[in-house]
Amino acid sequence: MSASLEKGVRVLKEVIDAPIASYFNSCVHCGLCAEACLFYTETKDPKYTPIHKLEPMRRLYEQEYTVIGRLKKLIGLSKAVTDAELAEWQELVYNSCTLCGRCSVVCPVGNDIVYMVRKFREGMSASGNAPDGLKGASNRTITIGSPMGIKLPAVKAQMRHVEEDYGLPIPLDVEGAEYMVMLSSMEIINFPEYLAAIAKIMHQAGKTWTLCSTSFEATNAGMQIGNSDLARVIVSRIVDGAEKLKVKTVISPECGHAFTALRWEGPNLVGRPFGFKVKHIIEVLDEFKEQGLLKTEGFETDRLTFHDPCQLARRGGVIKQQRNLMNMVAKNFVEMPDAGFMNWCCGGGGGASAIEEGEELRLEAFRKKKSQLDAVKPDRLVTACANCRIVLEEGLEHYKMNLPVVGLTEMIAEHIPDPVVPEAKGD
Amino acid sequence: MSEMQFLTWVRGTGLNIAITIFLLGVIFRLFEIYSLGRKKDLSEPRSVAGASGLNTVFRRSLPPADMLKNSPVTYIGGYIFHIGLAIIVFAFAPHIKLFESLLGFSWPGLPSQMVDLVSVLTIGAMLAVLLDRIVKPVKRYLSTFQDWFTWALTFLPVLTGWMAVQHLLLPYTTMLALHILSVELLLVFLPFTKLFHAFTVFGSRWFNGAVNGHKGVAV
Amino acid sequence: MATLNDKEFKERLAALSSAQQRQVAARFIHRAFALSGDLRVKAAVEAALRADVSETELAGIAQAANAARVESYTQCGKETDWNVQAGHFVAKAAADCVRPIAEGQSLAWDAAMLIRVARTCGAASGDTTDHKEAEAQYAILDDFLSK
Repeated sequence: MSASLEKGVRVLKEVIDAPIASYFNSCVHCGLCAEACLFYTETKDPKYTPIHKLEPMRRLYEQEYTVIGRLKKLIGLSKAVTDAELAEWQELVYNSCTLCGRCSVVCPVGNDIVYMVRKFREGMSASGNAPDGLKGASNRTITIGSPMGIKLPAVKAQMRHVEEDYGLPIPLDVEGAEYMVMLSSMEIINFPEYLAAIAKIMHQAGKTWTLCSTSFEATNAGMQIGNSDLARVIVSRIVDGAEKLKVKTVISPECGHAFTALRWEGPNLVGRPFGFKVKHIIEVLDEFKEQGLLKTEGFETDRLTFHDPCQLARRGGVIKQQRNLMNMVAKNFVEMPDAGFMNWCCGGGGGASAIEEGEELRLEAFRKKKSQLDAVKPDRLVTACANCRIVLEEGLEHYKMNLPVVGLTEMIAEHIPDPVVPEAKGD
Repeated sequence: MSEMQFLTWVRGTGLNIAITIFLLGVIFRLFEIYSLGRKKDLSEPRSVAGASGLNTVFRRSLPPADMLKNSPVTYIGGYIFHIGLAIIVFAFAPHIKLFESLLGFSWPGLPSQMVDLVSVLTIGAMLAVLLDRIVKPVKRYLSTFQDWFTWALTFLPVLTGWMAVQHLLLPYTTMLALHILSVELLLVFLPFTKLFHAFTVFGSRWFNGAVNGHKGVAV
Repeated sequence: MATLNDKEFKERLAALSSAQQRQVAARFIHRAFALSGDLRVKAAVEAALRADVSETELAGIAQAANAARVESYTQCGKETDWNVQAGHFVAKAAADCVRPIAEGQSLAWDAAMLIRVARTCGAASGDTTDHKEAEAQYAILDDFLSK
């Protein structure tokens, strides 16, 4: 056994627990999980059946943790997991799985397949079988602090842009602020208007908030590649920042997996409950609305529909809030079929969009999203995840669909009257 | 060995062996699986009515959203044969007699014509799911020797039992003996094959429901 | 009566007709075109600059300009090349210019902001030159208004 395979096997053995054992022993090969997975439904290739993505892990579990499995291995009825096999499974575990979780919801015996894929990735990455794109993102996270190479000067440049061009101050490292706002690389790079939107909303709500210079990055590459050590490093940075600044709530940005990493996996990674709350920006906006702190004017009149990011809705439990917010500013909001917690993935989550060799497959899988959109024929598509936005745009462009995509937070902010601040720019 | 000797053996020694292996096997396998334990979830939970492990144990018996139309044979065939098996095993008078001798108490059964009808439906449903497993690409792809083997293990008791009651093919004594033998084989293999889902389905659904319920999602 | 600050700038842009906004936006983009270099963006800008451009012509160019915009996003997890990203914002502004303009849309202001963001990309990668983009944009607007 090669050293890397040994490492991978060791890691896999550690992550296998009672739930995983229960799941593997419950599977009756009914194939229903395939019908829930867009990578199967749009390609009709059975190898994309979710439970099949876990086959090497299943065999390893059986051989290591069951008497029958050990006997089978001993007499040669069950083959040991090999390097080559793990390499072959890379496409299944990464390119064709976005950790969307639909499979876990439909399995009749109750298997939480996405939970198992997440654990399997730990073994895959430990044995060196993660895709190059994710390895790069992880390395950059370790060496630079951000998977996309964003350093503080870049953040400060965007802050300056918002302050100068929108006239909204962006607080940095303010101790005792109520909210610490996290950003994802994607927003810092692709959607700088998100920061302006936050500033406007906070200003109206009269809430104190701050960015943190030592932890502004919410994107968790460790979670995507399946490296809990790395995921822990990223979360720890955020926890340190939040505790140093003594904030009450950390706001996770419009990035699906950042929310999952911080809100749900975070305390388990660092080994203790947080002393602060973690909320997704959409949760915060809905709370402001309930408290009368979010006041909007005017309505969008075109036909809008909403794409529920998997990690926010099905995997995060934030489902009603985005609808409340949409109804605040949209007169003609229609729901796609399967909207809400059964929504179909954009096809690019879980690190998938960083895998170049998986692009063709993603575009094929996008046909499912296309069919949802064709059913409602919206004028524009709204969502609340920066990665979803770009993946959706790429898919729409590929299928020559003329459909603009907008972010919910920005749309809300557009309906907040401009704040009255001293002259923004003068010479 | 004569027919009577064979029948006596399966009714006595055979049954004792099978039930012993079954009970010990179930206990051992439950331990083998659930003793692995799991880490406590330290993240702050949401509390949403209807979202919990227990809820999912029951709710997962129903097809979610649009799934029924994707795979009608799997669901409908599955319901018919599972419910059919339960009715045949627990509501057929001769079976209730057997339970009474083992447990010391009994319960009312269903008229035998009804059980007969249920048996035919169950056999039909099981043939349908077998055909589906052969014909559907995903099921065929996933299927291993164990899938066909366990199908036979589950099918033969229903078939031989029904044939015995109908006095078909072989003399009653032989058919009955074969029926009991097929049940014994089912019992012996159940804890060590995918048939063990009969016990683990509760744990699996519970874990799944609990993890999602923690986040406030009712699955 | 020169434009002196963003408040005046925004008001004056909002007072322009849609067709005028398209032309002014194109001028803002034109100034920063070097950040993109994409021929599809060039075609969009050149079309939008013309006062006599037809909706049909614009429609033909819009698809390509949109493709240029979508292709230049930095995807999640990829290493950021701020130069390419600057080009993305230029492409976005250009793509917006050649799409049908909605009622009340602040096309010119949005384009001005996008170009400033494109310049910010330079700052993000360490370029400390102050391009005085805002002042240059005021001058472009004043020049357009004086004609």
